[in-house]
Amino acid sequence: MTALIQVDRLSKHFPVHVGLLRREAGAVQAVSNISLDIHRGETLGLVGESGCGKSTLGRLVIRLLEPTSGTVRFNGDDLTHASREQLRKLRRRMQIIFQDPYSSLDPRSPVGNSIAEGLRVHGIINQSEQHEKVGQILDRVGLQSAHAQRFPHEFSGGQRQRIGIARALVLQPDFVVCDEPVSALDVSVQAQVLNLLRQLQRELELTLLFISHNLAVVEHLSDRVAVMYLGEIVEITDRDTLYREAQHPYTKALLSAVPVPNPHLRGEKIILQGDVPSPLNPPPGCKFHPRCPIAMDACRTTAPTPIQMRRPVEHLVACHAAG
Amino acid sequence: MNTATDAPVLSVTGLKTWFHTRDGIAKSVDGVDLEVQPGKVLGVVGESGCGKSVTALSIMRLIPPPGRIENGQVLFKGEDLLSLSPTEMAKLRGEHISMIFQDPGSSLNPVVTAGNQIAEMYEIHRQTAARANQDKAIEMLEKVGIPDPGQRASAYPHELSGGMAQRVMIAMALACEPQLLIADEPTTALDVTIQSQILELIRELQEQTRTAVILITHDLGVVAQMADRIAVMYAGEVVEESDVTNLFDEPRHPYTRQLLKSIPVLGANQDDLAVIPGRVPSLVDLPGGCRFAARCEARTEVGLAACTESRPPLEAVGTGHKARCWMYLDNPP
Repeated sequence: MTALIQVDRLSKHFPVHVGLLRREAGAVQAVSNISLDIHRGETLGLVGESGCGKSTLGRLVIRLLEPTSGTVRFNGDDLTHASREQLRKLRRRMQIIFQDPYSSLDPRSPVGNSIAEGLRVHGIINQSEQHEKVGQILDRVGLQSAHAQRFPHEFSGGQRQRIGIARALVLQPDFVVCDEPVSALDVSVQAQVLNLLRQLQRELELTLLFISHNLAVVEHLSDRVAVMYLGEIVEITDRDTLYREAQHPYTKALLSAVPVPNPHLRGEKIILQGDVPSPLNPPPGCKFHPRCPIAMDACRTTAPTPIQMRRPVEHLVACHAAG
Repeated sequence: MNTATDAPVLSVTGLKTWFHTRDGIAKSVDGVDLEVQPGKVLGVVGESGCGKSVTALSIMRLIPPPGRIENGQVLFKGEDLLSLSPTEMAKLRGEHISMIFQDPGSSLNPVVTAGNQIAEMYEIHRQTAARANQDKAIEMLEKVGIPDPGQRASAYPHELSGGMAQRVMIAMALACEPQLLIADEPTTALDVTIQSQILELIRELQEQTRTAVILITHDLGVVAQMADRIAVMYAGEVVEESDVTNLFDEPRHPYTRQLLKSIPVLGANQDDLAVIPGRVPSLVDLPGGCRFAARCEARTEVGLAACTESRPPLEAVGTGHKARCWMYLDNPP
């Protein structure tokens, strides 16, 4: 498989200013030194808890945010250093779906208009062509072309998320970042949207970066999964290996913490102590060591580099105890 | 099960809470029966708008206008809460019945320290000396697992993480050792590793004090892990009620069955998820028959006329297992 997206040593630090003179007091290291590939036609799941930097990474990958250092390549082209004009052309091929279908649509504009906006930006200004494309994409996401005249408040949460999907797909992108697309939805509606995403991904051969805090949802949709903790990827491998043979103690704890809808599986859980440390002042050595049940001396001083497990498939783990 | 020996702490019968809106009467809670024994956890599950939170607020008598409790009984240790005066009710709240909410950030007072908010509970309900209240507040913070409680007592809510703030809420709720704790989505705003800490904490404290708990959540995983009994709500009604193992092993109501099939389960390797077609009926314009009929898979197979014509009662379908479905009744009308 070839890589559609190549992320190389990508970092993003947000400076924090204090006081009247807005003196720079430090920086939130939202993403530090991440390298990964996203293969053409696959869904890469990205899981982690709030503040781990997963949404920042998602935005960096399509350059909605400028990185502090590192590069992102899209289909071989350097996205990070692309000019405005080059970027505008590339943007057509990468889109994003947001979590909240309520705040990501303009309440005063018919949804057809919101969907067609991308078309206009990219030079498709012929009214009837716009109309036709909007109708086709609405049909594709399980709505009707007549819905284009309606306003966002006339739709339920699940339908609005379908509109968000339609808006992302109307330009026929190759790559879509899905940032918690079902987190705001009720369980029965969530199933509809997940099925739709999976079906569209297969039919349109899309490459997806699927960001979520919900491990069950990520497992359901992904081919490979990356686990993030405090701005770093601690483990990445294919889905089945991750869910069956997780190696990193954080991944193990995360998997064990998910409440399973089965009262027969109440057994012992790995309960992590304490909170996630502030990314403003991350702990030295391995960032997970203050909460890690198996931390050793080395973990307190030296940050582990990701190593490949001894198995035929890709399985990178950033832990001194792995291997 | 020793349900026979323990009188319920709380028993709700025929509770109706309606909201009188410009669009009509929204029957948010429309004939709910619930019961919880001392030392037990009752899980109430359902999707947004099913009436689970309104049920909790009705028990606490905290329904804002245009909402009104129309009918029913809420017996707390034999006394009907709906007949108490507002002053009597206020005395009961926080001391005998406590509630924790989803978002600890907005439920705590931002200008009062964590310690003082807990101490206030003793001040109001116990009228003990300020000094002693402070000490007890610190003791409570320690009990809910806050590291360095002496220091943290002087922290303001914004200085606490979400998990810590929820621990403070729990400390406040349990300060006076209530007989009943209502937890409304207590972990929904928290990360999964913090969620498991908080659930573990609620379980531990509840077992120590034999407090009865009503745990309201949309997460079937959380109730499976925490509850002794479960009530499933849909469109203002309890549609199924059972002990936890029976509910998951042998769900009877079609809504419960379809709901369980629609969630992705860790390690289950499902292909497509089952979808519940259509949507929840509007609460101002409820159908005459079973409220789930239009979305029911079983109805298309069994095809009873009753389903769309009259509202089914919540009836026993097994030992300690009830469902609101015509399929299980011998003589549907």
